Amino acid sequence: MRSPEINRGLAAPFARLLAKELRGIVGGRALWIMLLLACPLIGYSFVQAVALYAESSVAGQQSPTLAGSLSPLDGVLVPTLGSLYVAVTLLFPFVAIRALSHEKETGALILLAQLPFRSLTLILAKTMAVLAAWVLVSLPAVSALAVWMMLGGHLYPPETLNLLLGHALYGLLVGTIALFSASICESAATAAIVTLAFTIGSWVLDFTIAGHPGVLASVARLSLTQALRTFEQGLFSAGVALGMAAVICGFTALACVWARPGVPTRIRLARSAACVLATTIAFAATLPIGLSLDLTEDQRNSFPPADQRLLATLSAPLNISVHLAPEDPRYADLRRNVLAKLERAMPRVNVQLAGARPGEGGDRYGEVEYTYDGRSDVSRSTSHREILPLLYGLAKVQPAGAVPGADYPGYPLVATADVALFWFLGGLPLLIVIAWLWSRRPPAIRFAFAPMEAKHEAG
Amino acid sequence: MPARHGEPQPFDAAARPLIDVAGLSKSYGDHVALADVSFAAERGEIIGLIGPNGAGKTTLLETLAGIVPADSGEVRWHGRPVPASRRREALFYVPDGIRPYHDQYVAHVLSFFGGVHGRPPDAIAEVVASTGLGPVLAKRVGALSKGYCRRLLLALGLLAPHELVLMDEPFDGFDLRQTREVVHLLREEAAKGRSLLLAIHQLTDAERVCDRFVLLAGGRVCGRGTLDALRARTGLPKGSLEEIFLALT
Repeated sequence: MRSPEINRGLAAPFARLLAKELRGIVGGRALWIMLLLACPLIGYSFVQAVALYAESSVAGQQSPTLAGSLSPLDGVLVPTLGSLYVAVTLLFPFVAIRALSHEKETGALILLAQLPFRSLTLILAKTMAVLAAWVLVSLPAVSALAVWMMLGGHLYPPETLNLLLGHALYGLLVGTIALFSASICESAATAAIVTLAFTIGSWVLDFTIAGHPGVLASVARLSLTQALRTFEQGLFSAGVALGMAAVICGFTALACVWARPGVPTRIRLARSAACVLATTIAFAATLPIGLSLDLTEDQRNSFPPADQRLLATLSAPLNISVHLAPEDPRYADLRRNVLAKLERAMPRVNVQLAGARPGEGGDRYGEVEYTYDGRSDVSRSTSHREILPLLYGLAKVQPAGAVPGADYPGYPLVATADVALFWFLGGLPLLIVIAWLWSRRPPAIRFAFAPMEAKHEAG
Repeated sequence: MPARHGEPQPFDAAARPLIDVAGLSKSYGDHVALADVSFAAERGEIIGLIGPNGAGKTTLLETLAGIVPADSGEVRWHGRPVPASRRREALFYVPDGIRPYHDQYVAHVLSFFGGVHGRPPDAIAEVVASTGLGPVLAKRVGALSKGYCRRLLLALGLLAPHELVLMDEPFDGFDLRQTREVVHLLREEAAKGRSLLLAIHQLTDAERVCDRFVLLAGGRVCGRGTLDALRARTGLPKGSLEEIFLALT
């Protein structure tokens, strides 16, 4: 047991460490308070979303065309999980910070740092505990989806799971930012301020500079909220998911650098610079990844299947020059209905904002110029029904014929979820309180201490 | 037998001190916390780090444990230099004044530390019995009295398998009877071959438990050795540790 050589290694059982971290997260009140606060927040959002969806469904039940526009993803899932997003943004940092700052404040980190675990192992266990905490926090939202199904609502598994994946990545991102903040700050309060600077700072980015061209557009893309939006649109973008994973790994690495006591500051700064550089390179490498899957049931992010297949064969670069201001609503329509879909369908698409403003550029404002294979044409339309024939004309290919198939029927549902308020305001909080009390039960003592203690006292 | 010229000399770990501290220094800005501190400890020895508040005892322990980076100096383990990043593989440091995991049960904390160190339940039970933690195993750490919290820290130190354990103020929070029990316990540990480096500001406690002393004042070593050696050096043949300390500082 006591070798004169220091070769004990760093191979202590990870399961024990993880169990301790989970006990630490569950043992604090922050998680339970957040769960109790999330219940009415998510419940009210869900009930409101169902009520609005039911209002729209009344008309949808009389018109198949209107019914086709009724998607539970937009009508119920996104608003309900939107309240989870608010809770995670504002409250989850306090839960995640505790995983590290509590040990710093009580001095336990000094003991922990001496155990045979690498820094990465310590932070990895804390990150896994934070992820487990997010799973618990998301339970009210998941229960809302279950209530929705019990009401007769429809869920399309791919788009639902994709949305949950986006929220899980967002939660993990907030959690790792919180761990990093806790690693650099002496107190939990300061760490909370630093974390909220990241999360609420993202809102500021969204409100102030999103939609602006140039450098500001690039800065706006750093908003944490923007990353979640792709999942809310029903898209699984490999670039966005890998980008989020890169940033999560980056913050985890930074937390490793700063969590262990005893490392000189200059070494920490040098390692931090290396982490930031590596994360920036990894994040930049994910930006050009265009692979994305449209996981929505109505394939809203794609052209009709026949057009998708035909467009994929057009291998020459398509250059699009848009004479619209980025804040112009027509540009938003064009991007959603045409440009984003073209970028997904065609291998080489270059979109350029001509930088025009209303009143500038004479009659050209509002025009969109499409150039393919040396030929160009101009349109002011924002509908793919006009743009696709234009493109086929430029490419000199026959327009794709309509492929007979089942159109998206839409899922109107006239229902009220008012009864669910009893669940969100009564049943679920009660279960949470019971779970909290259960988590505080005294442990089963496994050591046969009593006889030995008696022996000690007798001695 | 001396090694022949040109042959690598065999490394005899047993012939060297367990830990050898040479010229350790640490400053916080203009304040010198440790200045050229040197001493050594042998296997099975209890060394008392003696000094008033602010003498640098805690800084020395934290620097030795690698919790605080030293400005200069070297720590050798069985004669071989050990960088700060690997000290935790050689020694274990139990700080003073901490209340680790105060919302967890004592049993969980002991089970975690014992389990990580690969201690079987019997060994954990032995430590529980020897430190008298049995009655509070099902209590949360935050609910423990100061004395029991100190016992918990002592137990965590005893659960560590390291040859050298550093303890900051191990008797703080104990009454006279409890102190005597802990002294007995620490002597038992030393008899098993474990070395202890104890930072103590209560000189009577130190006199009772330690084999040798390192006297610190203002971050400098002002005396080291056994009580008899220190008496001889100060010319106080029947002097207490307190009188010796006052004579040297």
